[in-house]
Amino acid sequence: MRFRHHRTVIDSKPPVAWFEVHTENYMGGGAPLCDLDAIRRDYPISLHGVGLSLGSAEGVDPDHLARIRQVAERVEPALVSEHLSWSVSGGVYLADLLPLPMTEEALATVCRNVDQTHGYLRRQILVENPSSYLRFRHSTIPECEFLAAVAASTGCGILCDVNNIYVSAANHGWQTADYLAALPASAIGEIHLAGHSVRKLDDGRMLRIDDHGSRVIPKVWQLYSEALARFGPVPTLIEWDTKLPPLETLLDEAARAQALLDHERKSLGRADTA
Amino acid sequence: MSASHSAVPTLLEVQRALRRSLVEHDDSEAAGCILADGLAPEARLNVYRNTFIGALTTALRLAYPAVHRLVGPEFFEGTTRIFIEKEPPRGAYLDGYGSGFPEFLAQFRQAASLAYLPDVARLEWAVSRALHAPDVEALDLSRLVAVDPADYGRIAFVPHPSVGLVQSDCPADTIWRTVLAQDDAVMAAIDLGSGPVWLMVQRFATGVEVARFSEQEWRFANRLCAGQPLQKALDDVSGFDASAALAGHLAAGRFTGFRLETAP
Repeated sequence: MRFRHHRTVIDSKPPVAWFEVHTENYMGGGAPLCDLDAIRRDYPISLHGVGLSLGSAEGVDPDHLARIRQVAERVEPALVSEHLSWSVSGGVYLADLLPLPMTEEALATVCRNVDQTHGYLRRQILVENPSSYLRFRHSTIPECEFLAAVAASTGCGILCDVNNIYVSAANHGWQTADYLAALPASAIGEIHLAGHSVRKLDDGRMLRIDDHGSRVIPKVWQLYSEALARFGPVPTLIEWDTKLPPLETLLDEAARAQALLDHERKSLGRADTA
Repeated sequence: MSASHSAVPTLLEVQRALRRSLVEHDDSEAAGCILADGLAPEARLNVYRNTFIGALTTALRLAYPAVHRLVGPEFFEGTTRIFIEKEPPRGAYLDGYGSGFPEFLAQFRQAASLAYLPDVARLEWAVSRALHAPDVEALDLSRLVAVDPADYGRIAFVPHPSVGLVQSDCPADTIWRTVLAQDDAVMAAIDLGSGPVWLMVQRFATGVEVARFSEQEWRFANRLCAGQPLQKALDDVSGFDASAALAGHLAAGRFTGFRLETAP
């Protein structure tokens, strides 16, 4: 949820199960936090951070961690999530979710930083698979196995971004089915869906860019169904951060995800009784 | 990656190389660790650099909307690009990014013809700080009642984090308001030589307010907000009712606490 929709949500109380906000947007005081308090009275909130930089070789920024804890103490969120990426080097924040070399060293670094975060926040976090546009020559571990290893070592949950799997798989030639199969179903605490854009490069190749600025495409809906079949009916969020449409469009996308979730719940019910 | 190219770089080295690529536009080390796979490593790095610069430009545009309008989007983006390279953010809390932009503008030769620009930027930074300041309760006045009147001169106040004081040699507040209201007729009538202004910025429940103070009122408030004890803040202040001014600050909730300064 973005600031622009605060008032509509407070006034009209739309029929959705919960909302997610960017943790960084509520680190100050004033009107945004006041609105969030009001929304929190009617809905569970999930805090989704983009700035903790769990992959930083230099460790996570204690000031940023303290700010996250402050927001979490006020909002009492149902979920807190961050990304399998890094954004800080030499104390400079690079304002994007940068990819990690998939190495044993990076794995140990991420696990150390997630452990520290768990200890400081005194709660479990979810770690999300990012979209990526480059890979490192010296990577040795497939990203899906890397993420599964982080969850196994630290006890963190996984935020499975189905659109990101689709985007990265298309950009790097991975198999989406292999990716889903490598993730431990018991660790999946949330699913993200979003739209992405396609950039045509000079040589005619396509690069898919995760920009959260359009509707979810049919192939990602298809992958979402596969994810639900494998992980069960996990809480699902529609992300939309750029070229923001009216709230109705978002609610329409959310209703579509809800229908697939309900369908999954029903088929689970049949399986249980069979 | 000071060693040979065949050596596997450490995570620290990879991250430094990417920082140099994104911030300093130097791809020489980063490109060597990236798989080309049909697309040049430099083009892949560019995707991230675009997001880096785009996100920070947006953060600066949100903090400096009047500067953005005054110079136009193209000049703003060109200027912020140079500023971002010079002063990239030191933390992931972007509402706190950009404090150095007014000083940068003051030194930026290409903007020298707009003499009022740095002052408008200083005011906008104070407004942005006020907007995002943490929620802190104002000073409970009953705590002051408990102070022995003989100790009043030793009271040093803690200012509310939303309070900011700005001084400008031009009517920066009028320019700021008029630009944001997009009122070209008023803009054309602004007298840039109308003299200096002393401004108090503060967030109230209703929003951020920018008020004009007299020079004496402003100096007194500035000393109090800098944590000077009351007696010292009153030195050299004359020609206005300081107790009324103090009562005004207390009623407006400009302080969150106080301590008693020990005698030097």
